[in-house]
Amino acid sequence: MSKPKRNKIYAFFVRCWFTSKMALNGVLSNTFRSALTILGVAIGVASVVSLMGIGEGARQSVIEQFESLGTNVISLKAHEADLEFQPDMATELVERVNGLEMATPVTQTYTNMRWRRDRSEVDIVGVNEVFPNIRDHNVASGQFFSELHVEQRSYVAVLGYNVATELTGGRNPVGQTIALDGQSYRILGVLEQKGEGKAENIDDKVVIPYTTAQRINEKRTVEEIWGKADSTENAELATIQLGRIFKKELNGNNAKPIPTGPSGPETEQPPGGNEQPDGGGEDGDEDDKDSGSSRKEQGMTITNLNQLVDEADQANRVMTLLLGGIAAVSLLVGGLGIMNIMLVAVTERTSEIGVRRALGAKKIDLLAQFLLEALYVSIIGVIAGVAVGVWSLSLFGNYGFPTAVSFEAIRIAATVALGTGLLFGVYPAISASSLPPVEALRRS
Amino acid sequence: MALIQLKDISRTYKDGSVSVKALKTIDLSIEDGEFVSIMGASGSGKSTLMNIIGCLDKPSTGSYVLADQPVHKLTDSKLANIRNEFMGFVFQQFHLISKLSALENVELPLIYQGVIGKERKKRATEALEIVGLGKRTKHMPSQLSGGEQQRVAIARAIVSNPRLILADEPTGALDSKSSNNIMSIFKELNQDRKITIVQVTHERDIGEYGDCIYNIKDGEIDNIENIGNKRLVKEEK
Repeated sequence: MSKPKRNKIYAFFVRCWFTSKMALNGVLSNTFRSALTILGVAIGVASVVSLMGIGEGARQSVIEQFESLGTNVISLKAHEADLEFQPDMATELVERVNGLEMATPVTQTYTNMRWRRDRSEVDIVGVNEVFPNIRDHNVASGQFFSELHVEQRSYVAVLGYNVATELTGGRNPVGQTIALDGQSYRILGVLEQKGEGKAENIDDKVVIPYTTAQRINEKRTVEEIWGKADSTENAELATIQLGRIFKKELNGNNAKPIPTGPSGPETEQPPGGNEQPDGGGEDGDEDDKDSGSSRKEQGMTITNLNQLVDEADQANRVMTLLLGGIAAVSLLVGGLGIMNIMLVAVTERTSEIGVRRALGAKKIDLLAQFLLEALYVSIIGVIAGVAVGVWSLSLFGNYGFPTAVSFEAIRIAATVALGTGLLFGVYPAISASSLPPVEALRRS
Repeated sequence: MALIQLKDISRTYKDGSVSVKALKTIDLSIEDGEFVSIMGASGSGKSTLMNIIGCLDKPSTGSYVLADQPVHKLTDSKLANIRNEFMGFVFQQFHLISKLSALENVELPLIYQGVIGKERKKRATEALEIVGLGKRTKHMPSQLSGGEQQRVAIARAIVSNPRLILADEPTGALDSKSSNNIMSIFKELNQDRKITIVQVTHERDIGEYGDCIYNIKDGEIDNIENIGNKRLVKEEK
């Protein structure tokens, strides 16, 4: 039996290994008590993960809805019949407004439809040939109508996905004819499916040239113009510019808005000062506050869909974080549970602490052991909590809630849980390590 | 130079506003290889003295030199090293760690030295063989009798080859047969391995195993009795 060679690095590893073993021993020595504490942490983590997952799911489904309308889309909508647009304005606006790449007049109507022997009623959307580009919506089969079709007021139609499948039961209807309002239309193509629950479900509609739709409607004006900007920044700028143009027009003469003025910088004060309050139009779910996402100019709404998405997203994020915050309170309670169990453990093992100190353990050994023990409990709690949280999210998903596993939530929950575990483990660990050896030995 | 040299050691406990003088002035020196018994009535300060010698407690005043090292000036971490390598402890209540087996308990001081697994096991087994428990290494403390537990504690005290063993009432919780057995182990360690032993006891016959007895009274050394190395080691089995 000779004095061992002191290899400091090796000694360090031996002590680390032993410390972690003793800490694990501490967790396992009272399985029931540890399990209860772990449960406390796990419940906290699981509630953060699942609540934030539900919030995140809601957020994503809103984003998806808006994105199905296309990116960088600006919509102009007239709410009064005498304010409706001349279709030419779409082209004129593209020329006048910087960054506005393309635009289409939009008119919507409702008419009867006949396919072979079946009769039904259907929504009609009249647009020009750039519509697929504006809405980022391609044809699944066939093709979209061309500029020529629009010019010639051709009787051609592109079917929404659901309309097509309902008509033919799966066979390709391209090339067949369909009767709308008693007139035969050739089916040029079928649009891709956008999916259920999306805003303004185009799947159930029939798209035809707006010029042709004017015949059904028996009027020359259209209610809406949809434009597309080439970038997010330009979408914002174009929205402001459009607001100025129409404000000037409407102030100048309260007749049909045919803009004639220059498109350069306007000298008027920025709009927003004399906006009329929300008239409670069709866009009830849109945020019509003075936020720039949509501007009402006396019977007309100009909406930048990007900003609508941002606002909705922002609101949902706040809600998600709020849910997470409430759930995080339970994490704090879990942390208190850890502190409680650790204090008990220190008291129970006072004499063990004394003996170990007498045998050569340093303060740091005991500090590390008790901190590790607290950390083990929180780590197991986090793992269990994340598992339960994700599982309960899939359960919610089965009942139709839009859910999404939010990695942000997992990160937050894990950080907070481990943080509180450590924080609440520090005091008991310090109290254990700073106990004088004599004191610890006497208290057996 | 003596192994242990205490000069003008005093220890005062403060309990609120009342301060209790557990040790008044202690001057004492113990030579390398001695077997010393400290005796005294309860409250006489003998345990306090023991704790100071064992570096578990620090004196209020005075100097303590242990093998040329001024212990009263050392940091907590250095003291832990001294306790670990230089001395072994035996307590009245054995103080084995109940979650660990006999072998693992004996390994403890070596772990703090960073001795690797294989060598640690070998040395711990050897130490257990010395106290006659070579066949009970896997037992948990609760499966051992009081005397056996104390022998495990002695194995733990000698595993790091200390020069000093400090025993605080080592037989206080044992019957007389086990007590004599423990004492004969001490005697052997003292004579064969030249380990210095300091024990605190209140039993006269246990105290007489030592070379000399320090009688403590009211925090001071009352007298020193020389027993001489006359007493035979009783063979007990």
